Amino acid sequence: MQTNSESSSIPLVQRISAVLWPAFLCAGAATGVFFTFFDPIVLLECEGEPPMSRMGAYTLGFFMFWLLCVASSVGTSYFLSPQPRGPSHPAQTP
Amino acid sequence: MRPLVDDVTHTPVRSTSGASRDEQVAQSLYAQRERVYPREVHGLFATMRVLAVVVLLGLFYGVPWLHWDGQQLLLFDLPARQFHIFGLTLFPQDFIFLSAILIISALTLFFFTALAGRLWCGYACPQTVWTEVFLWIERKIEGDRRNQMKLDKSAWTGRKVAVKATKHGIWILFSLWTGFTFVGYFTPVLDLGARVMTLELGPWETFWILFYGFATYGNAGWMREQVCIYMCPYARFQSAMFDKNTLAISYDPGRGEPRGARKRSTDHKVAGLGDCIDCTMCVQVCPTGIDIRDGLQYQCIACAACIDACDRVMGQMGYDKGLIRYTTENALSGERPRILRPRVIAYAVVLLALVAAVGVGIASRTPLALDVIRDRNALYRETHEGLVENVYTLKLINMDDEDHRYEITVSGIDGMELGLDADLVPVAAHEILSISARVRTDPYSLTRASSTIVFTLQAVDDGRLRVEEEARFLGPVSPAR
Repeated sequence: MQTNSESSSIPLVQRISAVLWPAFLCAGAATGVFFTFFDPIVLLECEGEPPMSRMGAYTLGFFMFWLLCVASSVGTSYFLSPQPRGPSHPAQTP
Repeated sequence: MRPLVDDVTHTPVRSTSGASRDEQVAQSLYAQRERVYPREVHGLFATMRVLAVVVLLGLFYGVPWLHWDGQQLLLFDLPARQFHIFGLTLFPQDFIFLSAILIISALTLFFFTALAGRLWCGYACPQTVWTEVFLWIERKIEGDRRNQMKLDKSAWTGRKVAVKATKHGIWILFSLWTGFTFVGYFTPVLDLGARVMTLELGPWETFWILFYGFATYGNAGWMREQVCIYMCPYARFQSAMFDKNTLAISYDPGRGEPRGARKRSTDHKVAGLGDCIDCTMCVQVCPTGIDIRDGLQYQCIACAACIDACDRVMGQMGYDKGLIRYTTENALSGERPRILRPRVIAYAVVLLALVAAVGVGIASRTPLALDVIRDRNALYRETHEGLVENVYTLKLINMDDEDHRYEITVSGIDGMELGLDADLVPVAAHEILSISARVRTDPYSLTRASSTIVFTLQAVDDGRLRVEEEARFLGPVSPAR
């Protein structure tokens, strides 16, 4: 029999994987689609940014997408944690 | 000896949906991870897996080095924004084909899963393939399963440090080579190799070699079965493609139960025992540390190591092989198995249709593209002759394997003139050329503020190479009449 507090204690490795990994996949897809349509060289020229090699721009782009997706996954993981139950609401068994 | 897995239950569970099964899965999921030491296994399926490893890794490490006519045969040249796939050169404009190829790959996976279960996981998944190599290195250095467990339990001595350092050193070297090969798919490998030798690697290439190398080392050396259990989306949803006729690795509880130890001379039927001698060999060889006798589990990667192990034991006991075997739920319950089912046919039809569509699409694709970008600085300008002029940047993308010369024309407004620096524009094979184009017209021929015009690009040496691209021509809102 498991209570809610027990079921939230999933292994750390699973929690970290659940945040980093889907974010990694989404960032990969987003990077692919984004840079298919926008050539970083042209983009940087338009914005008047200092020039950078395409590989560098792809890499930075990927990590920015990853960071964004990680932020979203962390939010999901945080809000999925069960609310602590007060004494007036006895823990229900699943 | 320490327990091999979290819980080896001795109760046969035939159904995967019972409440007790759910509880058990939940408990094993939330339990502290115990390191799995898979025992080495020999047999038909182990040989097949080794073959798959040799072929797939041979392809992975070898293909980037294949060249034809000075061109790397498979190169996703990200710095140049061109993908070379065995003679076919794709550009960002061909995005649709790449997406279609990815969809075809996914559908192929679904098709084979419906037909024969998790073939992918057991034989072809990079996680399985690289883990297999890492396990092999580990066995060569640390010894078999028992020696590995003994070494891990023992105190840190000079010998233990030396053994562990050797193992990790070889793992790291192998991972770095893997990272280098991976980057060699995205940037020309000969050039990359030369720059590794002369220590002139760029910062981003260095970063990605280390990143991919680290991912290989971490996933195949440390994470192993946890990647399948916690990270693999396919492991979670593959059951959606399963039905009662899907080939899966199953223990035959009707034949095996009640399980129990016995002497070889015992007539187990008289003693009231099934064929399973409860030697736990199937558990010891399992790379994900599960007990196949508990029924179909999502942690099972269908590597068939348990089949090999059990068949060997059955042979030693003089029993029939196949207590654990590739079978279907229907076959186990005595019903007639069916290979051709609506699900399999549906996947096959969609798959064939997509392959045909991509084939036709690639065969009939015009290896030429034209991008028209309006000058952003001015809407339009009036020349001193009183004409309205719009300026465009034309990007000519020659996706063909040969050089061509192109003629550019424009149409859409009566009497418009096209001003170019040259009448014919040469563009080399696989090159992108940007040129400036000025389009002028008499304001009296404009009927509205924004008109549609069409640029036509035509190769003078090949009539089939022709593309059209629309653009906007802006002029005064109320032309003076």
